[in-house]
Amino acid sequence: MTLTTLLLAALPLTAAQPTTPDLLAIKVGKAETIDQGTLEHAVILIEDGKIVMIGEDLPIERGIPVLDRDPEWTVMPGLVNAYSRGPLDSRGGNDSTPGLRASGELYIGEDFYGDVLELGVTTLGLYPAGNGIPGRAVAIRTKADTAEGLILRDDAYLKIRMRSSGSDKKMLKKGFEDADGWIEKEAKAREKWEKEQEKAKKSKKGKKDDEKEEDKSVAVPVEPSLDDEESGDYVAPEKDPAAEAFLQLRAHELSALVAIGQSSDYLHLIDAIGAEEFDWDLRIPITTELDIFNVKREIGLRACRVVMEPQLSQHPNTLRLRNLPMELAESGAKLVLIPRDDSVVGHEAWLRNTGEMVGYGLDRDAALRALTLEPAELLKVADRLGSLTVGKDANMIFFEGDPLEPGTRVEAVMLEGEFVTGEVKL
Amino acid sequence: MRFSNTIGAAFAAVALFAATPAAKAALLSPQDEESSDESGEEGFGEDDGPETHYFAVRGADVYTGTGEVLRGATVLAKNGRIKAIGYDVEIPGLDFQADVPSKERGYTAEVLDAAGYRVYPGMVAIESSGLLGTGGDYRDSIDPFDQNMILGLSTGITSTGQSNAACKLKRYISQDPPVPYDFDGIVLRDDCYANFSWGSGSARRSVREKLVRASEYLREYRQWQIDVKNDKELKEPSKKGVDNSVLDVLQGNVLAKFRADSREDLLGIARIAQEFGFRPAIDGCREGWTVAAELGRAGAFAIVTPRERRDKSEMLVREGGSSIENAAILYAAGVQVAIKPASRGISLGGITGRDIMHLPVEVGFAIRGGLPEDAAIAAVTTVPARMMGVSHRVGTLEVGKDCDLIVTDGDLLHYQTFVQWTVIDGQVVYDKQDELYFAHIRPRAETEVAPLRRLDAGENEEAAEEGDSEADGDDDKDKQNGKDEEE
Repeated sequence: MTLTTLLLAALPLTAAQPTTPDLLAIKVGKAETIDQGTLEHAVILIEDGKIVMIGEDLPIERGIPVLDRDPEWTVMPGLVNAYSRGPLDSRGGNDSTPGLRASGELYIGEDFYGDVLELGVTTLGLYPAGNGIPGRAVAIRTKADTAEGLILRDDAYLKIRMRSSGSDKKMLKKGFEDADGWIEKEAKAREKWEKEQEKAKKSKKGKKDDEKEEDKSVAVPVEPSLDDEESGDYVAPEKDPAAEAFLQLRAHELSALVAIGQSSDYLHLIDAIGAEEFDWDLRIPITTELDIFNVKREIGLRACRVVMEPQLSQHPNTLRLRNLPMELAESGAKLVLIPRDDSVVGHEAWLRNTGEMVGYGLDRDAALRALTLEPAELLKVADRLGSLTVGKDANMIFFEGDPLEPGTRVEAVMLEGEFVTGEVKL
Repeated sequence: MRFSNTIGAAFAAVALFAATPAAKAALLSPQDEESSDESGEEGFGEDDGPETHYFAVRGADVYTGTGEVLRGATVLAKNGRIKAIGYDVEIPGLDFQADVPSKERGYTAEVLDAAGYRVYPGMVAIESSGLLGTGGDYRDSIDPFDQNMILGLSTGITSTGQSNAACKLKRYISQDPPVPYDFDGIVLRDDCYANFSWGSGSARRSVREKLVRASEYLREYRQWQIDVKNDKELKEPSKKGVDNSVLDVLQGNVLAKFRADSREDLLGIARIAQEFGFRPAIDGCREGWTVAAELGRAGAFAIVTPRERRDKSEMLVREGGSSIENAAILYAAGVQVAIKPASRGISLGGITGRDIMHLPVEVGFAIRGGLPEDAAIAAVTTVPARMMGVSHRVGTLEVGKDCDLIVTDGDLLHYQTFVQWTVIDGQVVYDKQDELYFAHIRPRAETEVAPLRRLDAGENEEAAEEGDSEADGDDDKDKQNGKDEEE
């Protein structure tokens, strides 16, 4: 404990930010826990960057420093943007490169992370740029000293772009064909190895028998382990990265995020997937006349995640407004909302835009979930963040009102137990 | 699942006795007898499963396209194919076992009450563009939600030629539970024509040379087929220099398609067709009326645009140019006439009435020029289906063909007529009152027809009706929009 404190103390801190104590109790007017609903007069106990206790009107042991902002403040988990390029450029190819990782592009010293962290974005999912199958996304925290330090989880999802075109469908099918090709190759290699083993055994047996007869008197035991090493263990042929990704998909070790642009793309996706079984979610960018309502029942029944912007669209060829995120959520899809624009300004408007969608009928709980826990699930980091739950990282935003109301100010942001913005006096 | 259980038992029995052929025959023979008298009048069950879908239109005047009109008749389809047309047709789920829940019946049925309306075969556009989305690879690029597809269906078009392919306008309708989209059902045939250029002297020469070589080969091949019986060692004649598409034309597998308008070109095509014994399809055929007899003798097909206006060349003394009588004169001479409008796409700008959405109007002009009405309807149904070699599937309403039909509120060729419903493969894919486009023009009175009844497998009737209102995507949409407006 002392060591950690020392280390923490050694870290350079902005003058405006007092060091956050290791053990801290925070009392707020309201806590949007996401997974346990809204708590009134909530007390959250934080130790070593983790939430260790949360509840309504909990008694606080004497001696624990308390930050009492009851009833002015509302707290919610740090925002998670699961589909961003962050500060990275958007250049990318059109090929299938499922082995590429966005984590390889990370570098430090970019204002972007600090800027969005100030707005309450504590987690980002950075996807690899490009059409086709550009590669794997990475989940990062928005503050660290090294590029490696940013990484929360590599291989968050495999990005796949699917349009109503033969080439996109072929690309997906070919991925699984590659996987099949590797399985075949592996089987052949194993067969060959087994045959060799057998051969070796036979010859060894013969040799041993001879030895036995000859060296009965000497009785020097031949070390079997040495012999085994000579013949070598079975080594599977090297997987090519394309085949590896699709093998991982099949084994449910990796999931896919498929970007589609309209209803027909969805049908073509289902056609291209055929009998393959793997986990996939959808990215559907909101366009003015998006027609995705045609297949909302189908998407809803799959109960997959749908990554969208909090934005209204128009029914095609009319000026009638449609709230497609709401329609999909009501059909049963798990909504993940991302900023309309992948810039700092876009992140600034993110909560306000989400609030607008709630004004247009989107369920408030679904909206808050779409900003935190659902994207965390998509990035496969929900075991450590995304909601105010005991055991999870203390990633929190504190507001002086309702987070979805326009004009509500962010008072403070906490990343893994440490206040990173805001002037917080105990 | 009463029926499927009995079927299962039957299969088990067959499997048990399969070892002895005699026993097998004994078991199968009663089934064979049953299937032989399949006329549509017998009961339902036996081979029906939960995926069996019945569709019926009843009470309408059915124009079958084969020359018959059945007033107040019923068209019944099973799994997308027409099972029965006529009177006293039993409709499963309605007349038959209406009190038995569909779960026990083991099939779904849909009934469209259309008394006072007319039923025609769905129109077959000989060519169009953009009705299946923008891609060229129809199976893998179709957009079954495309606005142009809906507009095509609103016109009454159910199948269309797309360059060399014949495709269906299969729109995706969300069902409960969802049924995977039938991608393989879009393209009926992808090699309808062999296209020949007849524009220049060298092109004409090349066509002739190819025909000469191909017919030479065919002669050699036929002789070889005879000779090889005596001498098994005899080598097959060489295919060197033979154009396969020309060979297909001479063997009658595909139509030779030409693009020609002038009298000279048409005569040239008619003569070469007679010389080599194939039937040409001539796109354009503007001056066909001047050489109709010759084209008739050649057994030609013509694709004409009756509203086309073009003067003849002033340098010529002979007759020429376009004529509104073109279709009528060609038809009288025995030419099979298909009709297409001036623009093959759907155009939403400029003057209305010239695009594929006005195919029936275009046909009306041929009638004005003297074409008999039945021939006019054939020009947008049976003739295009025949030209593309898909008349065994579409073009007329006959038992065994695809249930592609339209329900109109009047004569198909009358300018006031609207298509009320379009059905493809026994599924309603267009309902005028459900779409944005024409619902407000002379709307169908709610009381005039009973709403579409959908009886789903696994649900009782009441639940099915509830399900129906949800199954209809547009109901939700309206609710949604209502909500939007309130706020």
